[in-house]
Amino acid sequence: MQDYRIVFEKRGRVKYISHLDLNRCMLRAVRRSGLPAWYTEGFHPHMYLMFPLALSLGAESTCEVMDIRLTQEVPPEEILARLNPALPEGLKAYEVREPKNVTQDIGSAEYEVTLVGEDLAAKWDAFLSQEQILIEKKTKKGMKELDIKPKITVTDVSEADGALHLTLRLPAGNEGNINVSVVTDAFAKFAETGVLVRKVLRTKIFCLDGAVFF
Amino acid sequence: MLKDKIEAHLLEVQRPSRYSGGEVGQVMKDKSKVDVRFAFCFPDIYDVGMSHLGMKILYSLINERENYWCERVFAPWEDMEEIMRREDIPLYALESLDPVKDFDFIGFTLQYEMSYTCILNMLDLAGVPILQKDRGEAIAPIVCAGGPCCCNPEPLCDFFDLFILGEGEEVNLELMDLYKDMRDAGSTRSEFLRAAAKIPGIYVPSLYDVAYNEDGTVCSVTPKDGAPAVVQKRVMTDMDKSYYPDNVVVPFIEVVHDRVSVEVLRGCIRGCRFCQAGFLYRPFREKSAETIVRQGIALCEHSGYDELSLSSLSTSDHSQIEGVLDGLLDYTADRHINLSLPSLRIDNFSESVLEKITTVRKSGLTFAPEAGTQRLRDVINKNVTEDEVMRTCSIAFQGGYTQVKLYFMMGLPTETDEDIVGIADLAQKVVNLFYDTPERPKGKLQVSISTATFVPKPFTPFEFEPQTEKAEIIRKQQVLRAAIKSKKIKASMHISDVSQMEAVLARGDRRLGAVLYDVWKDGGHLDAWDDFFVAERWYAAFEKNGLDPAFYANRKRSYDEVMPWDHLDYMVSKKFLIHENEKAHAEQTTPPCRDFCGGCGANQCLGRACFPKKEA
Repeated sequence: MQDYRIVFEKRGRVKYISHLDLNRCMLRAVRRSGLPAWYTEGFHPHMYLMFPLALSLGAESTCEVMDIRLTQEVPPEEILARLNPALPEGLKAYEVREPKNVTQDIGSAEYEVTLVGEDLAAKWDAFLSQEQILIEKKTKKGMKELDIKPKITVTDVSEADGALHLTLRLPAGNEGNINVSVVTDAFAKFAETGVLVRKVLRTKIFCLDGAVFF
Repeated sequence: MLKDKIEAHLLEVQRPSRYSGGEVGQVMKDKSKVDVRFAFCFPDIYDVGMSHLGMKILYSLINERENYWCERVFAPWEDMEEIMRREDIPLYALESLDPVKDFDFIGFTLQYEMSYTCILNMLDLAGVPILQKDRGEAIAPIVCAGGPCCCNPEPLCDFFDLFILGEGEEVNLELMDLYKDMRDAGSTRSEFLRAAAKIPGIYVPSLYDVAYNEDGTVCSVTPKDGAPAVVQKRVMTDMDKSYYPDNVVVPFIEVVHDRVSVEVLRGCIRGCRFCQAGFLYRPFREKSAETIVRQGIALCEHSGYDELSLSSLSTSDHSQIEGVLDGLLDYTADRHINLSLPSLRIDNFSESVLEKITTVRKSGLTFAPEAGTQRLRDVINKNVTEDEVMRTCSIAFQGGYTQVKLYFMMGLPTETDEDIVGIADLAQKVVNLFYDTPERPKGKLQVSISTATFVPKPFTPFEFEPQTEKAEIIRKQQVLRAAIKSKKIKASMHISDVSQMEAVLARGDRRLGAVLYDVWKDGGHLDAWDDFFVAERWYAAFEKNGLDPAFYANRKRSYDEVMPWDHLDYMVSKKFLIHENEKAHAEQTTPPCRDFCGGCGANQCLGRACFPKKEA
């Protein structure tokens, strides 16, 4: 038995598949690849396949992570060579390693976001200079107000081709995950004019201690 | 670009990957190297259409030809349709994302009468003139259809250039070959249609004039411009040599039948008199066990699916079913693949077959006795006895099953209240049997009864029969409810006007084209979905066109009436259907084809008897 962490891209029209669908898609891809997947024992055996951090529907990524358990050791380059031809257009595995961090280590993720709309750069500045950025959050006890301002880290802002390009770092993982759409929805509400989200691309996953998730 | 326009809105709809394409197994080609493009349209949403076996076969078959490209098209759900209409996104094919109107062929599959309005809506979304007569003389696009409902396509004649009768494996390519030659030679649409009508199996409705009697029945159907007087369906005579794909498009989302299937046989030996498929798909032809096992393994290997299903009208009638199961179980067992057999019959459901399938996964058992008493089962020729139901349930209970589903029809010819009460009695006997089984499993027993309203269909011995009216069905349902005593029996019966409309369209004539058009115009886009079916819309359209649904649905036809589909030949003779109808009313059964040849005529395509004569 050997665990592997596979890092893959999710680009293009495959961004329209949900996390659950991605899971099923990967199960089938592994079956097609002929890799010696390990199955759980018990009444309904299933393949041991784990995704430490889900990606929202509509977002692309260059750094998705999937853990798989194989019944025997397989060289990383062979895993890539067998898995990639079995993947649909837009999914591409590019690195295989032994998992070091665990899901619980995940603390944040970085995204490149492209927004289109009128006069967005100025509006974005105004949006961020609010004292608080309050959003409505659904909890078990009903709707709750939450200030997301302290949770947003903007590492880059630029304007090009009539679009606003942002690099955002947002909390991710089991504790207090914030989706990019929460921020863009709040901004759209603030901006009042239409804000079109043209691209959301996850580029990095970080641990709670700030190190890159490995 | 259309692609950008589509993508700009995909996150606004449910399950966007219904509309994005890009699945594993889809066939992509270089447009510039393709001669003929075929848009295979399924008149329902992706989730339903992607479950359809015929589409998988024909999609791969056409795409095997390097210079032909077949792509998939489905109806949008209402959320996507709204966006498409608002943003001027025409109906497009999932592979290339190119507009359907630019294709050479727009081919629909007719699986269900209630999908007809959806076809009109899809043509409209595509920007193709809905009425055939408005399409002009440019040869493309040719709007055509195949599938079981083509056995009476008359209500759709206003909208289609041609229909393909029977099995499409050969004729589809013949049609595309002819098209390519004639288009390259600069032919017009009507020239092409006249030539296409000469291909066996191709029915070009505009080449036939229909005259009606004063009472509204059909008087005559007259061919013109050299079209044949009778169009006969196409049949593949050797299932082992018939094309079958070794891969399929694997959807991202969970679709209705989310598995690969191997077709094990075509046709049916049973002759249930209500069952249209049982007559349309004759003669009985099976694949060899080796072919089935080979095709099943290839599909699993290429698709990565963990469920393989054996598909046919009655899988347990395969002469080598145990060999098939052994061969497949050898492969599936240690690969975590579930083998499912959806169409097993009660009477030949042997203990060893049950054992084989229970080695994989236990779920509920489903039986379709169809009628509550032996008398009525004899009338409909459902050759299943109560003893057989009990014997199989007994095996099943011992094998660990705790859920039994029983399917019945209501409104069958000659049905009385005694037959309705018989449904409850049969379910009660199954309940009693469970508690009388010493080795019964621990789980909770549930016996579900589900009843559907009988819809008489063309090319069955009941094509002459009136459909029972809604008020009477409601009364019968009350009789059934009152007869159910056990809390272990759950009855699901629903009533709607859909069954009547289905009956109207199934045996309708060309005058219904105007009704379909008006229903669509009035907003009928997805009538196959109960939530979108609005009965008033249909009744208003009938009223407007001076037609009476009861004339089509609830009227008894005489044996000598000219049926709207009499110029179409599905190889089962009308004489045979009449004989079977007479036997039904005499409560006489007809044995399965394997035991005794009833002489339906379908073996004409084989040039031999379907089964070797049994030793006396």
